[in-house]
Amino acid sequence: MKKKYYRVLIALAIGMLAISACSSTATVPEVEQDIQTEVQNPEPQPEEQGLEALSGNITLAGSSTVYPLAEAMVDRFSAEGFTGEITISSVGSGAGFERFCVAGETDIANASRAIKDSEVESCQAIGRTPIEFRVGTDAIAIVVSTENTFLTDVTLEELGMIFSARTTKWSDVRAEWPNENILRFSPGTDSGTFDYFVEGVMAPLNPNAEGKDDMDAGKLDILNAENTQFSEDDNVLVLGVKGSQYAIGYFGFAYYLENKDSLKAISIDGVAPTAETAEDSSYALARPLFIYSDAGILKEKPQVAAFVDFFLTYVNDEIETVGYFPASDEALNAARQAFSDAVK
Amino acid sequence: MYLITERMDLKKRPRPFETLVRSFLFFCAAFSILITFGIIYEIGKEALLFFGNPEVNMMEFLFGTRWQPQAGDFGILPLLNATLTTTLFAMIVALPLGLGVAIYLSEYATKRTRNLLKPVLEILAGIPTVVYGFFALTFMTPLLRSIFGTDVVNIYNTASAGLVMGILILPLVASMCEDALSAVPYNLREASYGLGATKIETALKIVVPAAISGLASAVILALSRAVGETMIVAMAAGAGAKLTFNPFESAETMTGHIVRISGGDLSYDSIDYNSLFAIAITLFFLTLLLNIASQKIVKKFRQRYE
Repeated sequence: MKKKYYRVLIALAIGMLAISACSSTATVPEVEQDIQTEVQNPEPQPEEQGLEALSGNITLAGSSTVYPLAEAMVDRFSAEGFTGEITISSVGSGAGFERFCVAGETDIANASRAIKDSEVESCQAIGRTPIEFRVGTDAIAIVVSTENTFLTDVTLEELGMIFSARTTKWSDVRAEWPNENILRFSPGTDSGTFDYFVEGVMAPLNPNAEGKDDMDAGKLDILNAENTQFSEDDNVLVLGVKGSQYAIGYFGFAYYLENKDSLKAISIDGVAPTAETAEDSSYALARPLFIYSDAGILKEKPQVAAFVDFFLTYVNDEIETVGYFPASDEALNAARQAFSDAVK
Repeated sequence: MYLITERMDLKKRPRPFETLVRSFLFFCAAFSILITFGIIYEIGKEALLFFGNPEVNMMEFLFGTRWQPQAGDFGILPLLNATLTTTLFAMIVALPLGLGVAIYLSEYATKRTRNLLKPVLEILAGIPTVVYGFFALTFMTPLLRSIFGTDVVNIYNTASAGLVMGILILPLVASMCEDALSAVPYNLREASYGLGATKIETALKIVVPAAISGLASAVILALSRAVGETMIVAMAAGAGAKLTFNPFESAETMTGHIVRISGGDLSYDSIDYNSLFAIAITLFFLTLLLNIASQKIVKKFRQRYE
């Protein structure tokens, strides 16, 4: 009897050792509230110049606004022969820079705003020098539900008041609007869209003692507003705005286009967001879209360099389908030049 | 006469295998206790950094009505209130239904029905909470909106998250209550039938009171589960802390807030980062209180049968 127990115990011990050895090589999944896309190539096209020869993985993270564009480029890149694994996380420009410059986990950071000096310093502290590539232009769409009948056009100042802590009901902003609570949906503080909105809309509403725009006061103004929901996930905002005629939100233009049947974009000072008004900056909330990488990564990982090259070459083919607007030719050429200089 | 010339050796014969198994099992038990203390220590350490910060004071934390870390407001009441609201709705669904299922299974069901019903309940318990969250968003919220009107019910609201949480907890309540009811010895029921009571009278007036300690502990366990539930409320209850008693408005719970913020880019040792640990330790104390209450109730009402 005793011998049988010994055998069972030894078998169990060996089994446990085997399982622990196997599981130590498995990857631990990240439990986060971001959207992750893993793209794997099904079959390579024979006429592409050597993308099949590349292997390895590419990791991108950052702006939820840039996410649809990055995803479109990744799909195309894989369709044209790349066999490696590409992951994109949509966590907000700020969080994307955190992963690129502080944790050093990602190869490319997507951003809907320019990198801050403090973020550049963090990058340099881990041995990375971020290179900026301008890839497109976005117009931030201010959206309401299609059931909203009273809102078609606002001034920039009224827009600030709508999101400000100083107002609670629509009638507080303009007397003829309904006497109902404003249900506000905004990207969170990690989002580049949020930073841009605060800089462009809230800060001018909150001048400091010298009469200049105060960023911090503007940020507090929108953060303290009643009935505001913050999320870095633009799909949460879309759902929220769709849900009520008294809701209002703002996010990248592509998310508005995707939901055109249930959302309505408001014009600001009479200017509606279109390709032309975004291009010539007559729309007040037109802004640049970027990707950032580092020369060291581009040299060490040829698949990342190939991807960035591919991105910059074909971005204008995909950008309009995605829902954004092309960057100016000079900006794109400057990006391409920066790329060639980096991989020299 | 048979004389015993040697004293019998009464010492236990050493059995190395027994000792090995016993020490291994003791290690398992000790390990779980150590892990618990380890978790408390880690959370407590960071939470202490939060409370040690001069910007924060305990009174504001416990009684303040605004939670906006970026603006320096650290009142936990909005988050706590939302957690309690969703828990309340979960209990409204889970307790009556769970107790009803338990009474049916233990008093009325035939063996065949019981063998069919129990596995189906287990399936309900096995559905991932993220699926429940999706269910809340795509089914429960539109249902509530069609009943009460789209102006009354927000698209993110605590009621729908709470009701779906009740469905999640239902199998837990049902199975624990059923265990408690089955533990009541059959002779109590026999005595009751012998005196002429009907089945329902026996069930409600004899069996349930006899099992009250087990039922109370089931309720407390369900409460703890509801308080700690994260995925359903993160998806369906809303993304902004708000102190409101209207369950049809969106409000962020403690767990939902931790999930939303920890996915971002808070720098270590900033006050925002430490505030998450303060919320975590509040959650922990809430659950601890519930456990202590449960033990006291169980001890007070326990009936011992010979």
